[in-house]
Amino acid sequence: MPENLHPESKMKGDVSIQDSVFLSESDNSLYFTYSGQSNTLEIRDLNYQVDKAFQVPWYERLAEFKMPCMWNRGQDAPVPMIQNLNLKVKSGQMLAIIGSSGYGKSSLLDVITCRENRGKIKTGQVLINGQPSTPQLVKKCIAHVRQHDQLLPNLTVWETLLFVAQLRLPRTSSDSQRKKRVEDVIAELRLRQCAHTRVGNEYLRGVSGGERRRVSIGVQLLWNPGILILDEPTSGLDSFTSHNLVKTLSRLAKGNRLVLISLHQPRSDIFKLFDLVLLMTSGTTIYSGTARDMVKYFTEIGYPCPRYSNPADFYVDLTSIDRQDRQREMATREKVQSLAALFLEKVRDFDDFLWRATEEESMLTVSVEPRSHLISEQIINLPSSSDHQLPGTVQQFTTLIRRQISNDFRDLPMLLTQGLEAFVMSMVIGFLFYGHEKIQRSFMDTAALLFVTGALIPFPVILHIIAKCHSERAMLYYELEDGMYSAGPYFFAKILGELPEHCAYVVIYGIPIYWLANLRPEPEHFILSFLMLWLVVYCGRTMALWCAALLPSLHTSSFLVSALYNSFYLSGGFMISLDNLWTVPAWISKVSFLRWYFEGLMQIQFNGIIYKEPFGNITIPIPGKLIVDGMDLNSHPLYAGYAIIIGISICFIALYYLSLRFIKQKSSLDL
Amino acid sequence: MSRHQPLTIIEDTGSIKSWGNSQDPPEEAASASTLHCHRLSIHQVSYTVSNRVGPWWDFGSCRKKWSRQILKDISLYVESGQILGILGSSGSGKTTLLDAISGRLRRKGTFFGEVCVNGKLLKREEFQDCFSYALQNETLLGNLTVQETLSYTALLAIRESSKDFQKRVKAVMAEMSLNHIANRLIGTQTFGGISNGERRLVSIAAQLLQDPKVMLFDEPTTGLDCMTANRIAVLLSKLAHRNRIVILTIHQPRSELFQLFDKIAIMSCGELVFCGAPMEMIDFFNDCNYSCPEHSNPFDFYMDLTSVDTQSKEREIETYKRVQFIGSAYKASVIYQQTLENIKRVKQLKTLPPVPFKTKNSPGPLIKMGILLRKITRNLFRSKIAVIARLWQNFLIALPLIFFILQLTNDALKGAVQDRVGLLYSCVASTPYTGMLNAVAFFPALRAISDQESQDGLYQKWQMLLAYILHILPFALISVVIFSSVLYWTVGLYPEAARFGYFSAAILVPHLVGELVALVLLGVVQNPNIVHSGVVLLCSAGILVGSGFLRNINQMPIPFKILSYFTFQKYTSEILIVNEFYGLNFTCGNSNVSEGNPLCLFNQGNLFIEKTCPGATSRFTTNFLILYSFIPVLVILGIIVFKIRDHLISR
Repeated sequence: MPENLHPESKMKGDVSIQDSVFLSESDNSLYFTYSGQSNTLEIRDLNYQVDKAFQVPWYERLAEFKMPCMWNRGQDAPVPMIQNLNLKVKSGQMLAIIGSSGYGKSSLLDVITCRENRGKIKTGQVLINGQPSTPQLVKKCIAHVRQHDQLLPNLTVWETLLFVAQLRLPRTSSDSQRKKRVEDVIAELRLRQCAHTRVGNEYLRGVSGGERRRVSIGVQLLWNPGILILDEPTSGLDSFTSHNLVKTLSRLAKGNRLVLISLHQPRSDIFKLFDLVLLMTSGTTIYSGTARDMVKYFTEIGYPCPRYSNPADFYVDLTSIDRQDRQREMATREKVQSLAALFLEKVRDFDDFLWRATEEESMLTVSVEPRSHLISEQIINLPSSSDHQLPGTVQQFTTLIRRQISNDFRDLPMLLTQGLEAFVMSMVIGFLFYGHEKIQRSFMDTAALLFVTGALIPFPVILHIIAKCHSERAMLYYELEDGMYSAGPYFFAKILGELPEHCAYVVIYGIPIYWLANLRPEPEHFILSFLMLWLVVYCGRTMALWCAALLPSLHTSSFLVSALYNSFYLSGGFMISLDNLWTVPAWISKVSFLRWYFEGLMQIQFNGIIYKEPFGNITIPIPGKLIVDGMDLNSHPLYAGYAIIIGISICFIALYYLSLRFIKQKSSLDL
Repeated sequence: MSRHQPLTIIEDTGSIKSWGNSQDPPEEAASASTLHCHRLSIHQVSYTVSNRVGPWWDFGSCRKKWSRQILKDISLYVESGQILGILGSSGSGKTTLLDAISGRLRRKGTFFGEVCVNGKLLKREEFQDCFSYALQNETLLGNLTVQETLSYTALLAIRESSKDFQKRVKAVMAEMSLNHIANRLIGTQTFGGISNGERRLVSIAAQLLQDPKVMLFDEPTTGLDCMTANRIAVLLSKLAHRNRIVILTIHQPRSELFQLFDKIAIMSCGELVFCGAPMEMIDFFNDCNYSCPEHSNPFDFYMDLTSVDTQSKEREIETYKRVQFIGSAYKASVIYQQTLENIKRVKQLKTLPPVPFKTKNSPGPLIKMGILLRKITRNLFRSKIAVIARLWQNFLIALPLIFFILQLTNDALKGAVQDRVGLLYSCVASTPYTGMLNAVAFFPALRAISDQESQDGLYQKWQMLLAYILHILPFALISVVIFSSVLYWTVGLYPEAARFGYFSAAILVPHLVGELVALVLLGVVQNPNIVHSGVVLLCSAGILVGSGFLRNINQMPIPFKILSYFTFQKYTSEILIVNEFYGLNFTCGNSNVSEGNPLCLFNQGNLFIEKTCPGATSRFTTNFLILYSFIPVLVILGIIVFKIRDHLISR
């Protein structure tokens, strides 16, 4: 019976009972308004294609042993993901894009946020406030909550949000204002009980999945943007939380903001909160208009909603394509196409492409509702961030470095592993080459000691860094894309933030060896040797940072770093004599930091002493310089070695900066 | 069991009184059906865990422990033919309740109460033989087809001689309507295959092969689109109506499911707020003055009603009070009394069927290992990347060595000794590394599967380990032969066929040991990245202490000398040095002028052997024997570690 489907009075009755469950929440709720200009998002005649073959990244294809020349011969043609989409949303409205998964919702959000790297816009355009959208414009006024959470695992929820607040809130806001905002967001998203629990990840226990989801939303809510886009914000949340979340979003929309969310199947109580709905199936628009008119529309075209059913569920089911077998797929596809054509016919005359029952009613829904809310609810008017300048480079840097150090410092297992690793290695090497009490090492053993000390330890350090950088890479990519900070401050924070850890590591590792092995005890020799060790480990670190930023997956980076390190190792002058290297390896040995380290230490430890080489029963005194000459390690003066290692480190650091700046830090996790 | 058909009952009655076979005294039921009707009763189950508060450096708060009660005094009663849905928001204790029922709770918490099947308390090791438990994340091998996956599981579960395993696989595939995708690959996250929903169906089918009478599912519909989710729910209720007990948790139930469940339990904050038939639920909440509005999903409504809102303190108290009120109303209700009475009655009942264990005539341990071996070998052969990585990784390591050395010389002044030592050192150092890389890349997936399947009682973890080791042996052999034949002859090591053979045989062990050590560590450490750096560190330490390339063994302190006997590098490098230097003569420059040069002191290889590892020539065979004994020792160690893993990870 279409007439008594949703009688108004009954609707109100239902809502009030349902509200009694969620009751007082709206009374004492916070209410951020957006005080900037009102925004309009318009999409005209959009057709968008995705080439499935291009979605496989190059390194995966290499792993499949396809040659680059074969890549373009993809067997599948580009698939149209969005067809003939028209849309117009204004501030104060919340648009929900619904439809089963894989039918173009995420593509649409990609197009709006200018991230259409997977496909191509065939026709049409996206307009934000009348201007075609560009990445700069998107950065300025759109906040985008991604489907996957990317957060630092060792920070607590409160810290995570506070650091973002320091990066994102205007320069002028005071410390207490920021804290207040963070508290507000925590209350708004119901994170109070876990505010001081760490966030965690798949290896580390932390807050629950739903709570982590809300932290991600909170990160974006903090800066109070004019347009808010959320990709599947309720996936993994329980009903209560998702209801409240959508309610929050709807309130945010009422505060003169534009909210766009994609959902694959909203619950009935959530559906009632939407203003506008866009129902999409395989890229075509089946319905777009106000949520309350959706049932009316489908009833009009002959698909009434059954009495005890959630309209969202019912119509999504109605329009999904059943892929169980070929016949059904064809049948459902045809039905969808006819529905889409019908809708296009119906909205042809409206300029905003929304279906409405009658003119007057639509006016009511669009304009009156927000005003009534504005009057009844308490308004906390906060300055919107887009009016003011974001924190400067220096503040970004200090915040990032504090964030990095507090995240690293909390990771006790990692700190312990690294500390223990350094300690154990130093004890093993130190006692192995124990040099006190009349023990006379042969010169080859001393040379081995010097080489091993510098050549073994950077490798585990490099592996740690590669693994760590890749675990944070997706987050870095998102935050750079959001314009939360730029590559420069991050780069400096990373380089400087590593220093304390690095120094502690080298001290734990280097000093016991030097003492146990009883190398030359004069202070100047010790300082020179220690400095060299410090430099060589640091150089390894910078190389690892560069490789991690250069290549998109953990495996490719590890492979590159191993290959480089192995080359430097072999051409270091210890394994293979430098004389025997033919031209190309000789060049490589010129940039091998291990070679310069080895050369420097050999000079420090051997030059200027008479070495007594035991051979059988006799001891032959040999000037140390002769040995070093014999290994072809005296070719350059000592200071040149330091200069060259510093130079190599600076080169790696520069390459690291360039990679951060110009290579998209898209991670393999983010596919 | 037609009287358990819930749909008809809902339609024709709907009131509490006429509902419920549970009210019929079990004695009255026909004695024939009593034998097949199983009863699961959970009586006053509570579970408490304690955690540390605060970060590690804050000693004050770190000492303090706070305990949290996850399950509070829960009683349930389910019979064969019923499907029980447990609802609740995240963190309400649904999954913990399933863990408690299936006996997979972590040992560190404290557990009270009893879980009885047919009135008998189960022993800890009996749980996995009685319940099947499908977890949220399905673990399947990506390169097998659906039919193969199920056949291997069937082979593991049923003795092959009984010959009906093919029939059983067919029947289960028909039951789960998987026939149309029987020959398709399962696929992985990145590379296609069957869809997520189908993957979940396959893992449910794998559980069914063991013919369990009690089946538990943790969130079987989460993350699936509506059509598949509905299909799975309908399938599960069908399974239940074929005389099984099915219990599932679900956090976003759709209204369509209302008709499917025979019993619904709602949990909130670890408490059972309600448990009863769907129509009982509506009546119960009506009696509490919370009637469900007409146009919404009753599940959603009641779940919201019983959730605690933690947004603010007042709100929390208010909602918590409501939950308490409903909970106590339930405890006072007839339905709850009925449950308790049923539990009691079943205990006293004489004519009860025995505990329904899963199919128990499973094949012997050796046969199981053979099946596992076939399964993972087939999986490996289907993956091009894995095969190529296993065969050619060592070769990749050889390339830079060849590139840097090109050709060894015999001139001591031009580094003949140094280059040879460097080359042998690289061989000993890098082959374990490639072995470890293979283990870290390919074993964790199999480990996850063995963790899951061993809990289903299909086999034990060490059997999977052993099968894995067996299936890598031929690959390791071929890979090492490729490596050594390219390297040995290009750079010009001692040109003699027998010595080439010894060289390859000696290199094979480090490669295998690298992989085995990584496997042993993977049994203890969950994160493969940590295992990666752990093995790198172990091998570096081993080469320092054992090899004698870097440190003259004679001059080492005593503890290290003793330690060096435990490193495989010692034996490998002694073999390699003897193999290369024995009988080798060096020249020293163009003339015999440079007598004084220390590098010219070694003009004979034998001298070098005597200096670095005295007496190694005579130990050549012994060294080989000791070296090869590392492999069985590590295998045994691995078996022990994986047996311990059974105890450590009890979920």
